[in-house]
Amino acid sequence: MPALFPRWTNGVARGSLLALVLLAAGVPAGLMLWVRTSYATGEHAQITQPVPFDHRIHSHALRVDCRYCHATAELAASAGLPPTAACVGCHNSVLLASAPLAPIRASLTSNKPIAWRRVNALPDFVFFNHSIHLAKGIGCESCHGRVDQMGQVAQASSMSMGWCLDCHRNPVSHVRPRSEITAIGWDAAHRGPANDSLRVRLAHDYHVQSLTNCSTCHR
Amino acid sequence: MMSDRPRSHRDLALSRREFIHLAGASLALAGLDGCTRMPAEHILPYVDNRPELTPGVGEYYATAMSLDGVATGLIVESHSGRPTKIEGNPEHPASLGASGPLEQASLLQLYDPDRARFARSQSTPTSWEVLAAQLAPAALRPRVGARGAGLHVLIEPTSSLLDEELLARVIESHPDAHIYMYAPLVGDRGAHGIVTHYDISAADVIVALDADFLSSGPFHLRYARQFADKRRLAQPTDAMNRLYTIESGFTPTGAAADHRFAVRPSDVAGIARSLQSALNGGTAGPPWLAAMARDLRAHAGRSVVIAGEHQSNSVRALADSINDAIGATSRITWRAPTPLIGEHVPVHSLTELVAALRTRAVDTLIIVGGNPSYATPAPFDFSVLLRSVPNSGYVGLYENETARDVRWFVPMSHYLESWGDTRAYDGTVSIVQPLVNPLYRSTTSAEVYAALAGMGLVGSYDLLRSSWKRRGNAEAAWGDALQRGFVAGTQFARAESEGRGSTVEGPGSRVAATSNPIDVLFVADPKVHDGSFANNGWLQELPAPLTQLTWNNAALLSPTTARRLGVGNGVHIALTSNARHIELPALIVPGHADDTVTVHFGYGRAGAESLARGVGANAYDLWPSTGVRFLSDVAITVSSKTSALALAQTQETMEVREPVRHATLDEYRAAPSRVGRRPGRALSLYPEIPASERSATQWAMTIDLATCIGCGGCVVACQAENNIPIVGASEVRNAREMQWLRIDRYFAQRETEVEALLQPMLCQHCEKAPCEYVCPVQATTHSNDGLNEMVYNRCVGTRFCSNNCPYKVRRFNWFDYNKHLSDTEMMAKNPNVTVRERGVMEKCTFCVQRIREAGIAAGREDRPLRGTDVRTACQQACPTNAIVFGSLNEPDSEMVRRREQPRSYAALDDLGTEPRVRYLARIRNTNSEIAGAKHDGGAR
Repeated sequence: MPALFPRWTNGVARGSLLALVLLAAGVPAGLMLWVRTSYATGEHAQITQPVPFDHRIHSHALRVDCRYCHATAELAASAGLPPTAACVGCHNSVLLASAPLAPIRASLTSNKPIAWRRVNALPDFVFFNHSIHLAKGIGCESCHGRVDQMGQVAQASSMSMGWCLDCHRNPVSHVRPRSEITAIGWDAAHRGPANDSLRVRLAHDYHVQSLTNCSTCHR
Repeated sequence: MMSDRPRSHRDLALSRREFIHLAGASLALAGLDGCTRMPAEHILPYVDNRPELTPGVGEYYATAMSLDGVATGLIVESHSGRPTKIEGNPEHPASLGASGPLEQASLLQLYDPDRARFARSQSTPTSWEVLAAQLAPAALRPRVGARGAGLHVLIEPTSSLLDEELLARVIESHPDAHIYMYAPLVGDRGAHGIVTHYDISAADVIVALDADFLSSGPFHLRYARQFADKRRLAQPTDAMNRLYTIESGFTPTGAAADHRFAVRPSDVAGIARSLQSALNGGTAGPPWLAAMARDLRAHAGRSVVIAGEHQSNSVRALADSINDAIGATSRITWRAPTPLIGEHVPVHSLTELVAALRTRAVDTLIIVGGNPSYATPAPFDFSVLLRSVPNSGYVGLYENETARDVRWFVPMSHYLESWGDTRAYDGTVSIVQPLVNPLYRSTTSAEVYAALAGMGLVGSYDLLRSSWKRRGNAEAAWGDALQRGFVAGTQFARAESEGRGSTVEGPGSRVAATSNPIDVLFVADPKVHDGSFANNGWLQELPAPLTQLTWNNAALLSPTTARRLGVGNGVHIALTSNARHIELPALIVPGHADDTVTVHFGYGRAGAESLARGVGANAYDLWPSTGVRFLSDVAITVSSKTSALALAQTQETMEVREPVRHATLDEYRAAPSRVGRRPGRALSLYPEIPASERSATQWAMTIDLATCIGCGGCVVACQAENNIPIVGASEVRNAREMQWLRIDRYFAQRETEVEALLQPMLCQHCEKAPCEYVCPVQATTHSNDGLNEMVYNRCVGTRFCSNNCPYKVRRFNWFDYNKHLSDTEMMAKNPNVTVRERGVMEKCTFCVQRIREAGIAAGREDRPLRGTDVRTACQQACPTNAIVFGSLNEPDSEMVRRREQPRSYAALDDLGTEPRVRYLARIRNTNSEIAGAKHDGGAR
């Protein structure tokens, strides 16, 4: 009796089995890799804001402290965005009539808030608190990067749970003096083992703990 | 909101093939769920500087809630302008920091999507401004006459000084106008306007004569605290007060009692007479009565008899004379003026209004608050009479039964949106401060009276401030009053003894005890009160104290009576009296008085409130007249209909496991260690957490079962704090209720008495937690400060943990209960707690959001976190301070001191779960002269 299938189909069968295995392993692996891409995490994504606020001018050139605008960073969970009135504190004399500031004028006259786009978004089941990080000597740039060099602010890190835990498991390596919380470039200037003892001492003084309980962030 | 939601899952009618198709497709698509990016979010900062407001940080304001005209001081938490949680005001005399279920749940009422939003005239939309112009005296006079004889105003009981002042002005403009004050559960003010006060902390022996003074009525939070403070038993040798409760139904006061005697309501007067004669050496009445009388006499000067608010004048007079005889008068009980208005403005009763309506003397009737078309005795035919009034208006929260019967309607502001004032039961002036601008275009009672008085459109803030000034208060005191929520030192002086007399013209004396086989007792519902809270899902789903009934009212009766009638739970019985009848399902309550049926008011609503409509039967349909406590001429017929009651607990006894340990005080003193005996340490396969990995605070809770009265305040507080959804009656029947904290109740028989054993049951935070072992995805883990954590975003819903939990405290989201909530209901959510979605397990977290907030605050201030920095929601609400929370590493804390008592034990401790929650065994201070005190088997 002649074979029902020609001999070459053996190869196809073996190949399909292999493909099936590869698919079964590959699809989850691919998805897991995909969620780690910067596209999925939103890292470095360019976000156009309603007002072209430039941190290079305000933060770098004019040396405005982060907390002038993000005023509740030391008090509350959210660092806060400035009320429109804070912009006008300076811009009643500077560049008030310029075209890019039109949304600010519109907000003032209509008494409607400016709808800024969120850059650093965490899922709703994560309860992050700025104030405790600052109190424990974790500087702005540790998470937000060199904002002073950003024309448009982008998310500087993946903000994934793994990224959070990297620091939560070993917080000491990110501690800096509380006086230098908003200092930009402090990490770059204090790299290396020479500063390890300083960090250890600060971590001790600030009672820095490694908190990895789930309920530290998930409540 | 719907009572039986979600409804859609029952509408699914799928063939098997379609089901497999859909299941396959959803499995395939489930994997793609992770491929979506988070939607773009916006941040909307304020336009102006708001120095008083930090986004994300709660703010707290003092205000006061008025119930039946008397105030309870509250502190309300608000986030970005939306109130999210209500707590008691620790400085306020009526609260002492505690809050009950109604206070807690009043938050949800503010956000109720069924609240009325629009003013209307007939069915034409209008506005309050237009209607106010029509209410001005000049506009009304042509209708109601030059002296206003045709004007009648029916208001809810109030103690507001502002309301009284404005109503006096209304009378100035319309000298012949009439003002009536009515609520179904409040007696008429009476000529003297005198009420009775108690100082429970001065009493060692208390006899409650059909008086639920611990969980209902004015000042019950204060009385419960005073009662509990006298029975905390730090040592077995400590003194303890003794409470005798004589009642028909089973109330929290009965559950808290050391001796409870169930009697028919028609026998209460006879008991009072016998008690008085027993004090004088008489021998009438049951044997326990003599022993009780001896106890009262032996503690003369430290004992008191409390007659219920709704008792007849003769019973109350008997209680007065007994109190005189045992030296309680002026020491433990005294008289003081009622806080209700009526001194400066004549206030009439509902019966007078009904008489006027029947003679067609009423041209204009304005009803402010209440719901008289529903909550009035059926023979009054109030609804029909109201429809015949030429010009009728109603100002209320809902388009309810009354709103349907009037010509024009104006939405009323909730107290959390209103300015006003009110008095506590002792007279303390309390300020009602709004937490939020009115959500809808609503008005307040004061604004209505101002319009009637010809003052035009004045806001209630301006009215309140000018009234404040006129009363001679210093402007500087205003800020202090606002901040504290009340004006210190404004309580009334005690009244002269000749002021003694009735406040309530109780009709109990009119209905003499008869040989009729059945008494029907009418009582306020512990959850929906007189019906005004009937549209509140938190309250509808709160298991009623002792019966554990949700989403319904029932005919409560004793096992003996049920057997005699041949009915079981859920079998409908019809109660007929004077050709009026109601039909409702029977519910057997052990310990209920025989030959008595208790029915609760507040159900059978027929207004536009979607949750309340059609739930239960309307007891007002059987109510013959205001003030009637019970009926003796009721015919009972058993119907062929049955309905499945939504009971949160169907188990009635503890069987052999004894989750609640209990003993009498004598037994406890004789052998303290036997009460709280502990098994040897169970072997465990799980490694100990090394001490080096444990954090400095180790959270734990101690619950004293000797002081828990089972009022349910903690349950609603937990629901409000932790964003717990309501699930509806059908899901409660499936045992899928979501409350993280429940109050288990078991009945135990002690000779002739039935004792209720109550136990707040929540996640026990076991150190060897059975749930943690079985979770395949590590969604429930142990923290290094001793919490059993639940991570919703990790949970995949296997429900293994719930299966393995011996305490059955884990709750599963079978449906997306929050999906169909209105925008306003979402505003009630606590922003610090995740709103869970379908398919995840949840349970008590020890209010971990409060713990972490406190830890962050301590870290910010560079100080160590103390156990006393955190109070859980249940602990904060508890009127008796039965719940204490703190850190095990602080041996001086109240929490640790309590759990080191010999009567402390862990529930089901033979399982070796090592719970962090410890209970203190319930101790009853029984009277050894009463037979029931003899324990069936001694301390085990």
